[in-house]
Amino acid sequence: METFKSLLVILLSSVLVNNYVLSRFLGICPFLGVSKKLGQAVGMGISVTAVMLLASAITWPIQYLILDNLGLGYMQTIVFILVIAALVQMLEVMLKKFSPALHKALGVYLPLITTNCAVLGVAINNITDGYGFLESIVSSLGCGLGFLLAMVLFAGLRSRIDESEVPKQFRGLAVTLIAASFISLAFMGLAGIVDNLFV
Amino acid sequence: MKKNGYLSVLTKGIFKENPVFILILGTCPTLATTTNVVGAFGMGIAALVVLLCSNILISLLRRVIPDAVRIPCYITIIAGFVTVVQMVVQAFFPALYEMLGVYLALIVVNCIILGRAEMFASKNTVVKSALDGIGMGLGFTLALCAMATVREVFGAASFAGIPIPFLEEYKIAFLVKAPGGMLVYGLLIALVCALTNGKGPKKKTFSCAGCPSAGYCNTGSCGGEKEEV
Amino acid sequence: MKKSIKNVLVLVSICAVVSVLMAITNAITAPIIAKNESANANKALLEVMPDGKTFDKVDISMYTLPATVSEAYRAETGGYVFKLTTTGYSSGFVIMCGVNTDGTVSGAVCLASTETLGYEKTFGDLLTGKNAENIDTVDTVSGATKTTGAYRSAVKDALNAALILGGGSVDIRTEEEILADNLSSALPAAEGKFEKLFIVEELDGVDAVYKAINQTGFVCVIGEQFIGLDESGAVISEVSEETGETAEAAIAKILATETTELTLSDYEGLPSQLVSAERTATGNYIILIKGAGYGIIGGDDYHPASGEYIYIRVSLTKDGKIIDCLTVSEEETDGVGSACADESFYGQFVGKTEETYEDIDAISGATLTTDGYKKAILRAFTCVKIFEGGVEN
Repeated sequence: METFKSLLVILLSSVLVNNYVLSRFLGICPFLGVSKKLGQAVGMGISVTAVMLLASAITWPIQYLILDNLGLGYMQTIVFILVIAALVQMLEVMLKKFSPALHKALGVYLPLITTNCAVLGVAINNITDGYGFLESIVSSLGCGLGFLLAMVLFAGLRSRIDESEVPKQFRGLAVTLIAASFISLAFMGLAGIVDNLFV
Repeated sequence: MKKNGYLSVLTKGIFKENPVFILILGTCPTLATTTNVVGAFGMGIAALVVLLCSNILISLLRRVIPDAVRIPCYITIIAGFVTVVQMVVQAFFPALYEMLGVYLALIVVNCIILGRAEMFASKNTVVKSALDGIGMGLGFTLALCAMATVREVFGAASFAGIPIPFLEEYKIAFLVKAPGGMLVYGLLIALVCALTNGKGPKKKTFSCAGCPSAGYCNTGSCGGEKEEV
Repeated sequence: MKKSIKNVLVLVSICAVVSVLMAITNAITAPIIAKNESANANKALLEVMPDGKTFDKVDISMYTLPATVSEAYRAETGGYVFKLTTTGYSSGFVIMCGVNTDGTVSGAVCLASTETLGYEKTFGDLLTGKNAENIDTVDTVSGATKTTGAYRSAVKDALNAALILGGGSVDIRTEEEILADNLSSALPAAEGKFEKLFIVEELDGVDAVYKAINQTGFVCVIGEQFIGLDESGAVISEVSEETGETAEAAIAKILATETTELTLSDYEGLPSQLVSAERTATGNYIILIKGAGYGIIGGDDYHPASGEYIYIRVSLTKDGKIIDCLTVSEEETDGVGSACADESFYGQFVGKTEETYEDIDAISGATLTTDGYKKAILRAFTCVKIFEGGVEN
């Protein structure tokens, strides 16, 4: 029960309070770039969640079973980024072969994920926060879902921005960032909710 | 840019093609590490060093690296330099290391660096690549510092950690929080756009090809200036 | 084919070169990083113990220390620094506390917290210089009771831990645990389950009586002594004859107690707050009365009134001296007025009379609760006078 509770706290806080996009600024590029249409946003969000889960499941044992045992802790960054890059490649190849339909739906988003700092960020944060394997998985799931949530919310907002009259200088990224700022502001209101939800 | 002299290679990164405000690259560290000037400066210099080293090495190896595996090679080289910088910062500037945290490691996925490797260093001479690295790095550093100055002075009533007594009572704490970062960034982009009349170079012709998002974000982070509107 | 071999070769050699570069840098920087880290750890230690100079980590698994102590360091000067992890308003409240050789706090800082109001940043300064005896005199900050209370008790744990590490023995059991242990050793047959008896007779020399819940006997508390008695009231603990007699007399009195319920309508002028009253064969009264505390007359947006009275049971002699007093139920503000349900509060009324009952320590921050309680006690005195026919009103 106690473990379940702590896992739930990790999950909820990474979705709501420490949302990777809105409060830690990880994965901002795709957040701003691929959130124009709801369909794109959902596809990207799901792909990122899947890669995050897989990446954490692979990097955690690599860190603790290989790097730490060999005293190669400093290889963390390079190994993790290569693992993620290879993972994304493999995932794409496999999807293409075994599930062309899914590949058609999500495949286009996969190459974008290699340089998505949220994925590398989750993998590294899981290690620096000292999470166990199960906690790492749950935390990556939470971060992925948080990313998806932010993307979906923002896609809705953007379709409205596109229809409105924006001063010339603000067109494009400026107004998008300001809108993102308000969503982030709304998420700030959720801080503290998780800690007190279970006491 | 081939017809330009060395000087313009150096200066274009600082103003005309400023990676942060004009090209809109590396948004993640721009937002995350600009809560104070010291952190922003540290981040900028760290990125500059990585950019300089990777540009030089990739330019040196530009005839050796096969086209098919170039991206993994670039990533490996960049990750290596990032780790080196990470270790040096941790050893000699522990306070800065604490401040930057995971964002130091995330220089690896900073589009500026991969973008310059792909677009410039792999096609130009070592000297030009080095100058380009320095120019882009300085532009990045200056932009981060400018943004951090706005956020720290008005948000925390201090500059580089030194309190500004008069502003103490009027500080807007929201600016140093996450939403404040996005707001300030948005406003600064609009300001730069107003000053340049939106005449920044088009992203398409510049470094977007190095970014895998290129095909999908022609109006978002990569299409900094939406000129067709 | 040849091309792909070349690809792999280039990639592998680049990896190898980069790895070598990293290994070299690591070899140079690793010792510096290690030195920095230990210097950093020392910095926090020095902050709470400025004259400590060097510190050695103590293996705390060899000692039984309070649970909040997570790390301990011995300073060259003989003092100790403790890292304490506790829970204030929320969990993860980490405090570093230094203890001098003379058992006073040399300094305390908060290393990490998610407390809401920020009192944890400065509260440590108030505790500096205090020792285990007088640390409780530092008041918690009202409005941030949980934060500052947790802070104070964590620092108190550090003081105790310092005594233990210094070779002294400190009872790290809580008061309840000490009581439970004493009771169990006096009467093992009760299997550790006791209830405190509400005393309705004046028992000479006996401070408190506990009854085994499984009816196997009683424990009399006389000063520091715990005397076990079986269910018929015979002493089973080894005590002096005189003490044993005192205890036996007390239990005999309790066993002989008979009470009769009084019909309240037979009396005029009883306060409406009186709920019920009984009289014992020896002429003492047991009165259940309600008091209007914060729950009735207080209330604001932040702490709404509960609408409930405080129910108090009090036993008095016929000449108006309180034999025992107990808060039966209350719905006062949690953590403030709810202290009226603590024995440290209501126990103060024992032995008091109408002249002296006001001479008690109020509950800090809960004036309405304290006043309501006192008023109820005063009415209990009035009731006794009416039952005895002393007041015509």
